[in-house]
Amino acid sequence: MAKKAHISIPMLMVLPSLLLATGIIGYPILDLAWTSMQEVSRFGKLQGFVGWENFAEVFGDPLFYASLWRTGIWTGAVVAGTLLISMPVAMILNDDFYGRGLARVLVMLPWSISLTMTAVVWRWALNGRSGLLNATLMQMGVINEPIEWLAEASTAFTVEILVGILVSIPFTTTILLGGLSSMPQDAYEAAVVDGATGWHQFRYITLPLMKPFINIAIVLNVIYVFNSLPIIWVMTEGGPANGTDILVTYLYKLAFRFGQLGKASAISLIMFGVLLVFTLLYVVLLSRNEADAAPEDEVKGHDE
Amino acid sequence: MTYAFRTSSAIMALGFGMFGLAPAALAQTVVDFTVAEYSSKTGPYFQEVASAFEAANPDIKINIQVVPWDTLLQRLTTDVAGGTAPDISIIGTRWLLDFADQGVAEPIDSYLTPEFKGTFIDTFMNPGIIDGKIMGLPVAASARAMMVNMDLYDAAGAAPPTTWDELYEASKKIAALPDTFAFGLQGKEIETDAYFYYSLWTHGGDILNADGTSGLNSPAAIESATLYKTMIDEGLTQPSPTNYNREDVFNLFKQGKVGTIFTFPMLVPQIKEEAPNLRYQILPFPEAGAKATYGVTDTLMMFADSDAKEAAWKFIEFAYGDANREKFDVGEGFLPVTKNVAALPYFNEDPDVAGFAAGLPYAKFAPVIANWEEIADVTVRTMQQIYLGEVTPEEGLAAAAAEVNKIRGL
Repeated sequence: MAKKAHISIPMLMVLPSLLLATGIIGYPILDLAWTSMQEVSRFGKLQGFVGWENFAEVFGDPLFYASLWRTGIWTGAVVAGTLLISMPVAMILNDDFYGRGLARVLVMLPWSISLTMTAVVWRWALNGRSGLLNATLMQMGVINEPIEWLAEASTAFTVEILVGILVSIPFTTTILLGGLSSMPQDAYEAAVVDGATGWHQFRYITLPLMKPFINIAIVLNVIYVFNSLPIIWVMTEGGPANGTDILVTYLYKLAFRFGQLGKASAISLIMFGVLLVFTLLYVVLLSRNEADAAPEDEVKGHDE
Repeated sequence: MTYAFRTSSAIMALGFGMFGLAPAALAQTVVDFTVAEYSSKTGPYFQEVASAFEAANPDIKINIQVVPWDTLLQRLTTDVAGGTAPDISIIGTRWLLDFADQGVAEPIDSYLTPEFKGTFIDTFMNPGIIDGKIMGLPVAASARAMMVNMDLYDAAGAAPPTTWDELYEASKKIAALPDTFAFGLQGKEIETDAYFYYSLWTHGGDILNADGTSGLNSPAAIESATLYKTMIDEGLTQPSPTNYNREDVFNLFKQGKVGTIFTFPMLVPQIKEEAPNLRYQILPFPEAGAKATYGVTDTLMMFADSDAKEAAWKFIEFAYGDANREKFDVGEGFLPVTKNVAALPYFNEDPDVAGFAAGLPYAKFAPVIANWEEIADVTVRTMQQIYLGEVTPEEGLAAAAAEVNKIRGL
């Protein structure tokens, strides 16, 4: 009896926030799931239960698979590219040099501009005839003829990934910089005494200690990038010929252009599922690794 | 300022509020009117009409919301879904069927007096009639036409074309001029499909066959798509059309770099302002067996669950007064939808307006069918694949026709 009370007091204390979280997160998902099994009018009125019909329609749609595949490439490439660039940037910004404060501000500055605005600016810069990029490249003698960057899916998608990387750098650098600045300096000093090179220090001290920060950067970036609409929507609207559509842009078209809210709900539920599975898998993998490696003295940050 | 004075003025203010202003506010009927933003003039224009109306009808308040075209459908969709739909709204006529099907649109037959109905040009009234009921009034109309840059045609020694063969030959000459593109071809975003319909219709084809199936794989459709593709391949269009939306193509024309484009009347005021020295001419579309132009109307629609229908209708009748319509049509560069305005000298003598209006007798309209936006998107995607060379016109159009038929449930 006494033991039971012992358990239930902390439970009671977290209960309100647990209920709130369940309500805020759970209700929309339940509503979405319910909607995805209905025939829905263009104006969101439910017209009757249709079971798995919306899902069957989604899975019978070649554009869905193409978008799914492209979403994978988009997420993978943007997240990997962002990390590869952010890590050295964060390390440079962590070193003490003249003007570091200014450099930090400059790297963070793009973060303060809305994603949509950045995409609009890039759309102009990439314009074939009057864009800044072609003008610069032609003046530098790199190209002779203007390139129509957004005219073909292959170049358009590549450019969009690069822009995606660019806008993800400030956030990722901030996380990594936070990690680097909390790093114990004595480990480096000991390593230098033992004759470790810069690469050794990075490989055997920085990287292992930074792991929790890199992990949280990966998880958060995957979630943001997977769901990111503005860059692709503003630059190409998923075109030409659906060649740059990812799941979100395709979903947006279905819902707000074609008025197929049922099918769109089904896709967003699938997207939620994909992200959930990814996050769970990742957390499981992480906790298993951590159990093997350092049991204590872990830097916090991956418990979201 | 003394304490007593402040108190008394507060009481006075309260008194004014209770006896002076509040009763009027209580008796007022509010009409919510969502206006599509055609240009920067649209909002101020409707505000002015509303103010004039309110002055004459103090018991009615017109509440105007200006929404850009790009987000209008989404906005109305969420408003209707959330139960906060306006009383009246300007919509694209192509959406009207969906609104009518779902019972969102109110039939206006009972409000429309024969005299008021008689003021409209019938051609523009027809797209708003669904299942024999009038679901909305035409509020704006435009027809499309060909616009040529006379300086480029003269420099190339070519005459403005009347047939597609002539356009093709003239384009070859113009393309030979330095830093010049002969034919501006739109390849992305809104109305990419319309640029294809211009060619499809003038080749004698149509979007839908008589039996309702897709006309995209007709010989006329294949011929017109092949012609566009040939012109791209031979360098007669600007390079990579799939990177050019409607405005991009029009901008090239304003810069004097393109010989021929297909456009709408709203471009004329823009050219007058931004490129006053451009020597252009407005001509009918080139033909290859048929005459056609694309007629586009927008509709003023009343919502079925409005609780201020009488007041809204009163405002509508006021707004359709000749003076108001003239100001609107001239200001925005539209073709008139009412007979009295159409009879005004401006719309018959101005060569630009007359050039666009000339096509009205044989104008084609987008079919009023369910899922039109999705069908248009299939067409856009197919045209982009053809322009990019991913599919041949025959393959692409056959697949598109099959897909459209599937969407139509045929």
